[in-house]
Amino acid sequence: MTTLLSRPEAGAVATEPVISMVDVGMTYPNGKVALTDVNVTIPAGDFVFLVGPSGAGKSTFIRLLIRQQLPTAGRVVVAGRDVSRLRRGQVPQLRRRIGIVFQDFRLLPNKTVFENVAFALEVTGAATATIRRRVPQLLNLVGLQEHEQHLTTQLSGGEQQRVAIARALVHDPAILIADEPTGNLDPVTSWEIIQLLIQINDLGTTVLMATHNQEIVNAMRRRVLALEHGTLVRDEVGAAYEREY
Amino acid sequence: MPFVRFIGFSVVRAWQGFWRNAMMSLAATATVVLMLVLLSGLFIVLTGLNSGIQFIESKVGVTAELVDNLPITSRDALVAGIQELPGVTKVTYVSPEEAFRRLQESFASQGKTLETGGANIQLQATLEIELANPSFASSVGDALGERSQITKITTQQEQIDKLLGIINVIRTAGLVAIGLVGLTVLFMIVNTIRIAVYSRANEIEIMRLVGASDSFIRWPFILEGVMCGLIGAIVALVLVAIVWDPIQPIMFNVFKLPFAVGSQFLATLSALLFAVGLGVGALGSWISVRSYLSSAA
Repeated sequence: MTTLLSRPEAGAVATEPVISMVDVGMTYPNGKVALTDVNVTIPAGDFVFLVGPSGAGKSTFIRLLIRQQLPTAGRVVVAGRDVSRLRRGQVPQLRRRIGIVFQDFRLLPNKTVFENVAFALEVTGAATATIRRRVPQLLNLVGLQEHEQHLTTQLSGGEQQRVAIARALVHDPAILIADEPTGNLDPVTSWEIIQLLIQINDLGTTVLMATHNQEIVNAMRRRVLALEHGTLVRDEVGAAYEREY
Repeated sequence: MPFVRFIGFSVVRAWQGFWRNAMMSLAATATVVLMLVLLSGLFIVLTGLNSGIQFIESKVGVTAELVDNLPITSRDALVAGIQELPGVTKVTYVSPEEAFRRLQESFASQGKTLETGGANIQLQATLEIELANPSFASSVGDALGERSQITKITTQQEQIDKLLGIINVIRTAGLVAIGLVGLTVLFMIVNTIRIAVYSRANEIEIMRLVGASDSFIRWPFILEGVMCGLIGAIVALVLVAIVWDPIQPIMFNVFKLPFAVGSQFLATLSALLFAVGLGVGALGSWISVRSYLSSAA
């Protein structure tokens, strides 16, 4: 039986973290230190907020996970793969284990909703039959089955973010990384997106969400990783946006 | 099947890309046509000149004028001696009467009559010496110069050398012109594909983030360049085919192109045009995409 999103097995949660960062440091060629001695372990199925002021290192943190950059110190393991040891040809396999959504959606404006989601499958060589089966499932999950033939430019911001989420899930990733997914949305729509992310997390996908939205973090009371000046200053379960003690 | 899907994906994306960037693609294609038409012209001229020189070379021989009233025994001994020389394939004696008859025939073939005004034209007896190869002309000429029975030696070596010199100049100038046009075409294709790549930077980034391999990103662009080359080659070939009919008689009659070569001429030229067109298209786009992909994470 084909499942929409794969749920991790109970035993795997404790033994096989989806993300593991050990003594990770990142210094850019211009000398700017973006991250220092970051140690984080995120087990499968977790829902984690990544918070911190602008310039704290959140974007670098995410770029290391998707191997857009390599750490200058330490070790980053994502979905069982040490990103520093991957050959160039192995990077696409890693990225199929990671779904990512951005504040600006990054959709293709000249394609329909269906085509935008299908595109992620086409470019990885998926069969037409797989595309025809998988895309409607995901559009159904994000509540856009009625809009599949619409151009993405005809959709609201919230709907566009849903398309981006559907696209991020096409390869059934182990982890969904959301970089400020509500940054361009009004409060009501933001909560709709959060509800969708919770639903996806409930289906078994680990969610890491970078955000500045205090209201959401405070209301959700999930695990919070707080970065300041490239240092992980807080890693707390059931926490608020700001330190409460 | 995955490979077929990959090919199908790449071809469809290349076709879409070609028309999405139509102005630049057509400009690049037009320069490919220009280069290939120039290449065709050079190919036609050089083939004609080569075949002309081969025809002339096949006719190259040495003509030796004999002293008057040479006894037959001396003449036969001379002929036997010349036949022994390296590179000589045949020696023919042409009597003064035969020479006069040939002169009359030559006039007649030009529609004229040889008027002697009653004078008795006395031509000299000659020996026509055919050679295995024009390169023997000077050695045979030197050997004949030592014989007292011979008054004058004529070879066409000088004319052949002049013709070869002209051909070499045309060939060099043509290759330089083709090289310059080729570089221009390469530059056009590199820029066309670069613009295409940059205009689709968002799309490429999305492809990378969803796990597309470099092949899926690279090949549609390479095929787009190949498409410029392919369409350019087809257009150039059509143009050459149109002018081939008027050119054909010149090639056969003036340049003495052998019919066996002539029948394969268009096929050879087509292969050349397609190879060069596709090669330049693929190389240009490969250079462009390679530099972009290697700089992106």
